[in-house]
Amino acid sequence: MQSWRRKALLLALSASWLLVLLGAFPLLRLAVPTRPRAGASQGWPRWLDAELLQSFSQPGELLEDAPELPQGPRGGSCDWGACFDASKCRGGGLKVFVYSAAGPVSETHRRILASIEGSRYHTSNAAEACLLLLPLTRDSSAGECSPVPPQWNGGRNHLVLSLHPAPCPRTFQLGQAIVAEASPTVDTFRHGFDVALPLLPEAHALRGGAPGQLRQHSPHPRVALLALAEERGGWHTAGTNFSACPWDGHCEQDHGPEQTHPGATLPNATFCLIPGHRPDASHFLQALQAGCIPVLLSPRWELPFSEVIDWTKAAIVTDKRLPLQVLAALQQMPLTRVLALRQQTQFLWDAYFSSVEKVIHTTLEIIQDRIFGASAHPSLLWNSPPGALLALSTFSTSPSDFPFYHVQQGSRPVGRFSALIWVGAPGKPPLKLIQAVAGSQHCAQILVLWSSEKPPPPRWPETAVPLTVSEGHRKVSDRFFPYNAISTDAILSLDAHSSLSTSEVDFAFVVWQSFPERMVGFLTWSHFWDEALGGWGYTAERANEFSMVLTSAAFYHRYYHTLFTHSLPEALRALADEAPTCVDVLMNFLVAAVTKLPPIKVPYRKQHQEARPPLAPEGRGPRPEPQPPVRNCINQMAAGFGHMPLVSSRLRLDPVLFKDSVSVLRKKYRSLEKP
Amino acid sequence: MCAAVKYSLRGPALIPRMKTRHRIYYVTLFSIVLLGLIATGVFQFWPHSIESSNDWSVEKRSIRDVPVVRLPADSPIPERGDLSCRMHTCFDVYRCGFNPKNKIKVYIYSLKKYVDDSGVPVSNTISREYNELLTAISDSDYYTDDINRACLFVPSIDVLNQNALRIKETAQALAQLSRWDRGTNHLLFNMLPGGPPDYNTALDVPRDRALLAGGGFSTWTYRQGYDVSIPVYSPLSAEVDLPERGPGPRQYFLLSSQTALHPEYREELDALQARHGPSVLVLEKCTNLSEGVPAVRKRCHRHQVFDYPQVLQEATFCMVLRGARLGQAVLSDVLRAGCVPVVIADSYILPFSEVLDWKRASVVVPEEKMSDVYSILQSIPQRQIEEMQRQISDIQVSLTINLNTEDSFCSFPLKLLLMRHPEIEEIQTLLFLVMPWNLEVKARWFWEAYFQSIKAIALATLQIINDRIYPYAASSYEEWNDPPTVKWGSVSNPLFLPLIPPQSQGFTAIVLTYDRVESLFRVITEVSKVPSLAKLLVVWNNQNKNPPEDSLWPKIRVPLKVVRTAENKLSNRFFPYDEIETEAVLAIDDDIIMLTSDELQFGYEVWREFPDRLVGYPGRLHLWDHEMNKWKYESEWTNEVSMVLTGAAFYHKYFNYLYTYKMPGDIKSWVDAHMNCEDIAMNFLVANVTGKAVIKVTPRKKFKCPECTAIDGLSLDQTHMVERSECINKFASVFGTMPLKVVEHRADPVLYKDDFPEKLKSFPNIGSL
Repeated sequence: MQSWRRKALLLALSASWLLVLLGAFPLLRLAVPTRPRAGASQGWPRWLDAELLQSFSQPGELLEDAPELPQGPRGGSCDWGACFDASKCRGGGLKVFVYSAAGPVSETHRRILASIEGSRYHTSNAAEACLLLLPLTRDSSAGECSPVPPQWNGGRNHLVLSLHPAPCPRTFQLGQAIVAEASPTVDTFRHGFDVALPLLPEAHALRGGAPGQLRQHSPHPRVALLALAEERGGWHTAGTNFSACPWDGHCEQDHGPEQTHPGATLPNATFCLIPGHRPDASHFLQALQAGCIPVLLSPRWELPFSEVIDWTKAAIVTDKRLPLQVLAALQQMPLTRVLALRQQTQFLWDAYFSSVEKVIHTTLEIIQDRIFGASAHPSLLWNSPPGALLALSTFSTSPSDFPFYHVQQGSRPVGRFSALIWVGAPGKPPLKLIQAVAGSQHCAQILVLWSSEKPPPPRWPETAVPLTVSEGHRKVSDRFFPYNAISTDAILSLDAHSSLSTSEVDFAFVVWQSFPERMVGFLTWSHFWDEALGGWGYTAERANEFSMVLTSAAFYHRYYHTLFTHSLPEALRALADEAPTCVDVLMNFLVAAVTKLPPIKVPYRKQHQEARPPLAPEGRGPRPEPQPPVRNCINQMAAGFGHMPLVSSRLRLDPVLFKDSVSVLRKKYRSLEKP
Repeated sequence: MCAAVKYSLRGPALIPRMKTRHRIYYVTLFSIVLLGLIATGVFQFWPHSIESSNDWSVEKRSIRDVPVVRLPADSPIPERGDLSCRMHTCFDVYRCGFNPKNKIKVYIYSLKKYVDDSGVPVSNTISREYNELLTAISDSDYYTDDINRACLFVPSIDVLNQNALRIKETAQALAQLSRWDRGTNHLLFNMLPGGPPDYNTALDVPRDRALLAGGGFSTWTYRQGYDVSIPVYSPLSAEVDLPERGPGPRQYFLLSSQTALHPEYREELDALQARHGPSVLVLEKCTNLSEGVPAVRKRCHRHQVFDYPQVLQEATFCMVLRGARLGQAVLSDVLRAGCVPVVIADSYILPFSEVLDWKRASVVVPEEKMSDVYSILQSIPQRQIEEMQRQISDIQVSLTINLNTEDSFCSFPLKLLLMRHPEIEEIQTLLFLVMPWNLEVKARWFWEAYFQSIKAIALATLQIINDRIYPYAASSYEEWNDPPTVKWGSVSNPLFLPLIPPQSQGFTAIVLTYDRVESLFRVITEVSKVPSLAKLLVVWNNQNKNPPEDSLWPKIRVPLKVVRTAENKLSNRFFPYDEIETEAVLAIDDDIIMLTSDELQFGYEVWREFPDRLVGYPGRLHLWDHEMNKWKYESEWTNEVSMVLTGAAFYHKYFNYLYTYKMPGDIKSWVDAHMNCEDIAMNFLVANVTGKAVIKVTPRKKFKCPECTAIDGLSLDQTHMVERSECINKFASVFGTMPLKVVEHRADPVLYKDDFPEKLKSFPNIGSL
């Protein structure tokens, strides 16, 4: 009883205290003048007389700007409109003249020349050129720069190119010349006028270049998160524990799993921290090649080709003053973003940085884009595979005209094809072939390219689709000319002696629609490395894999005609004209270099294969044994491309019910299965 | 309160049982309690009324009542702007600190009226636009009223128009701001810089390190990556209501509507007009307007009077020539009218050029080339012009929104649209009231997103600065530039890099099992024969039974791991286990023993060539049932496929991550609840994110196994088919679209069924259906 009472007493007392406290708080609030509550912030006041406020400019003022003539460039600065005369560039696009060295030609100079000569930009006539290129090279005679060139004219329409930094003391003012130098400092860089180049190592490949190191899309689960660029070159790989570690390139030694590889040039990590000093810019390319996402800490230099490349898609530019925040952000970065950044580094490396030639062509392409103005490459073409060097803006500026962007754009290629029949020396009109092709529901037109000495027959068979004959093509490379008459995205390239059935054509076209960027063909070759001869070879023997399809019967996008004619070096096309089988190799090289994917094979009836005519002198079919000149062809192509672009495939795409043991009536492409 | 009263009423019933002394004691206590309660109740109401009246007085003040600050004549002046400033050098990021939301905090100084020594005001206190701008910032997520937490400071000193202020005194006013500190982290907004005679292209007020959001920067005054170029706001185009107009040919090819132009430009324009006749329209100020007609709203050509800005809608291209200043308000009007601006102002930094791709919405012509402008414009293909028009305004977006699921709302493109157009949220609420629907949302793009109001300008400026400070959370090029229609139809494949993974990597087989141990062991033995198998993962989905002892498992040449799950869910099959180290994953059921080693190895080889796709064996098809008006599942022998069964399928392990964490809507839980259709869900997911079709390999049509016909029997079951069809319809509605792609091909080995010696074929053992 006693305890019960005491408990009740305590309870009541505490309850009343509680109530007093509850009551006191509002009282306190009354007593103390109220401050704005933190939660509902006051913000900018709503003025009573806001309606009466005047506008920042009087209605007339915006119109009555006192007219003034524009002033010329100030402070020696230049911009595109003021310092470049684009009138010389109308018509032929960008034509570039390269000054030859006065003394002995330096290695760098030679490489620059080599990468421009034979390209679509080159001209050997300074008067015709719209851009004059002056290479600044370190190793020219007497450590002095090239003297003022003859047509200098204050540097107008000049591009001063220095591939390697600080080459030599300049003996003249750069004036109105565009400066393209490696990793320029942000303070002197003139946006929209100068071009920022990457800091290339001395031994950078001239053509082709090393491929990106990325072997898989997603980072391996065990790979280190961070690698840090070190001052003396090399990379320091930090595990997942980097809290104590090195921010400015200095690291304590007692980190167990972390290692320094002074010799290793390519980092193996997901993110690569690169300090912002200019010499560290060389690490940037290494990270890019390795597929390690560059994290730039307050860079004092302009990122290469920043005018056109959207670096936010491939690198992270951040502030070195916030280390913990950056590290936290990197650790928490969503997998989707990491995947996208990694892949973009590889694409950019392969498209613009892996060789001297690509770097120089990219520089010129940027300048050409400025000249083109509205017809320049849209940003999408620069920033998604295969990149602006391989997606020519002279072909189109609308992404859906190209074979590469349909998925991104949600578009589809035009649903019909044009058949292009090349009639060679025997000069026999391929009547059967024409009927078979015209019978396809997807065929829009047939173009006959008559290249025989004999005149074409006056009468051609009646077909359901328009048939056009054009004459006078002697060179084999003419068959890949971008004829205006081709009105569809898809081209079916044929030879007079090809033999196809309508259902083969139909099925192959339907397959092509799923892979518009690839070649879809019937007959295949495969390439191989010949140890004995120390070179590449190729064979027409049937094998378990293939890497080329013959253009005597193949579907591909019409854009490849433009690319073949306008982007390939002259020398390679001349080679193809000399040895006609080479043209197949060249076309396959081109498409593989663009797509980095193998072509596609579709089923081909055996009877055709056996019924192929014996090889005529100019016959383009494969010989039973590849002969030395042919072997030579593939090796010359590989040298011209700088690498071997061909990719092998081990599969063939068949109709879903192909040769299945079900009723033929169920099958859509039943005639494909006839023996 | 009610309860308390009841309590005290019940009191007397208790009390008689106690002694009087105690009674008095308790009565006192209870009355205290009661009093306390009453007091609490009263004060709960009272202070509120006091506070709200307090708010009232704070909120509704007059501008005339703002405090006056007298600036001594010798008060300090900031240094002139530092041209070498960059974010890494002049901006104090420490103030922005760690912020989980990746949003900067912006503080606005309170409004003061500044007067000089003699009491003459320094400037107009505040303009309508600057007030709007500060209101917009204050209403946004960026705002903070705590000066100590702020990362960016916005003075309330109005410098929008340089002509309306006294330069030296304004600078003094800036310098005495409480956190000025050489202008670090201060943001000034200016639209009309410079003054006669030389019209500088940036604000002349000395501002030291302060960031400047300026209209009319030139390349020599603009600090790339530090300043922000903004448009010159045009109050006119905000006032006038223009009817909408889609892309297409317009009456005039080229139009010039500016009135104050240098005589030389005027001559050029007249020459253009003379050369190209009626397709060019050059407008001038009207001279003989009747009283009361605002001159701003009219333009004249000879004696013809046109309404401005309506006339801009009649032209394909509209000139934006430099005046005394580079930034012209007419740009805003032109964009508003959906006319493609032809910008002729050398060295002009176009508004928001740091993020906006003006190539897609304008034509920039060098001043030197002004006489060629017509031919330059003519060389632009019509298609590209329409593209530009669409970019700048008036896109018709038809959004077909299926409202059965609110998650279709969170699908990516629409979310973006809502992000950019918060006003559409009203529609969102509306959407939930009426259904089903087919709604046309009209969105104007560039103009609407970044130009139309002071608010749009202010928020875009802050977002640009925010993106610099938190680069890892920045908006992408596409988010800034693509109109919603583009975003709607486009797909960005997460595995876009053309890459053939090395064969040496191999694949990880994941077997989902419940209790069919014998069958499981057979599957393990069979799969282990595949040369490229790198690891085997058994997902033990039975919580009531332990997996067999280690010694009982078949001995295989690759590591075998058993993962036990917490719940028997189908989605456990698609969980991104840490144990998966290869990119390629083979999902395989514990009863699939029919697949030969050659078939599996070939499947892996095919996956290497198509690493972004689902590669499977039996194919299935979805069809539109015209009678029922819905999707139907088809497992007959068709010439087409759009799905593969995941009873045995290769795919990239990233899709496990997507399935587990990014599956739209309630699909994942729906699948787990119904214990069905996880494979269809996976097919939908992969097709939706990559925009590509599946690859069916080899002729195999079903996973037939002699001992367990019941399983296949189930597949053939009519109710099963109905269920599967329902899955397709459910998923299509959640995805808001039908992502599956139909193809007519399958992949076979190169020499499959060719007349070729079998022993020379790589994959001879492929065949049975």
